[in-house]
Amino acid sequence: MRIELKKFGNMLISRPAGREAFLVMRSSLIKEVGKNELIEINFDGVEVLTPSWADEVITKLAEKFKNVKLLNTENESVQATLKTLREYSGLKI
Amino acid sequence: MNNKIEKLAYDWITSESDKVDIMSNYYCETRDIFQARLEKMKIALSKNEKLSKNRFLLSAIIGEIGNNSFDHNLGNWPNVMGIFFGYEMLDNKCVIILADRGLGILKTLQRVKPELNNHKDALSIAFTKTISSRYPERRGNGLKFVKNSIEDKKMNLVFKSGNAEININKIFKIKDAAKNLNGCLAIIKF
Repeated sequence: MRIELKKFGNMLISRPAGREAFLVMRSSLIKEVGKNELIEINFDGVEVLTPSWADEVITKLAEKFKNVKLLNTENESVQATLKTLREYSGLKI
Repeated sequence: MNNKIEKLAYDWITSESDKVDIMSNYYCETRDIFQARLEKMKIALSKNEKLSKNRFLLSAIIGEIGNNSFDHNLGNWPNVMGIFFGYEMLDNKCVIILADRGLGILKTLQRVKPELNNHKDALSIAFTKTISSRYPERRGNGLKFVKNSIEDKKMNLVFKSGNAEININKIFKIKDAAKNLNGCLAIIKF
């Protein structure tokens, strides 16, 4: 399945907002999804992303599912945030 | 560029608590006020041809620093809740200032490293080590993100907390600050 992050806003910044977003995903979007299913995370439309928000969402999704793919990660703040998570949070995608 | 905004920030962070200007447009009492003003800054940056290209990454840097103030001081604000957030743009230059009257880096990191006893070491750890004051929660990446992004874009950051300050301008330096500050103050220029 594909998760459209722009549905959570175009400025994904605060940790509480990230935590809330993941709770929503867990209770609805990914509730019935098996851990081996392909999860595509689409960053199209996201203008600002920080490690605080992403640690609550991207890192947790990557831990929960084995097959995660990131789409449309060209935005500079997305690139910088993912680099930070890979270096400091153990993100492997 | 004049230092009006810097003086306002210094006045705000150093005033006695009953004299802090909480009516100022630079004061963000809550996270949602801060986010709205950050959005406004991003729009303002987009109208400047040179500054526009960095507006997303810059907004992320500012967002990370500002939200860290709320994260680390939630329920523990010593006096005035919230942050000072101001910016000035002139020609192709920009200066952005964030300040909080919170606990400061040393006190927050002492939660997990009780042996820490000075502000310089605390700032060094905050900007270069993976550590969080809310261990075992996985946090503590924000200032590494800030440091790396500032360096990549050749911006300038001065970050002060207690009697220490970090200066990132091509290289990373840490030193004693001229004045002691409760809380934190960050100045970003590019």
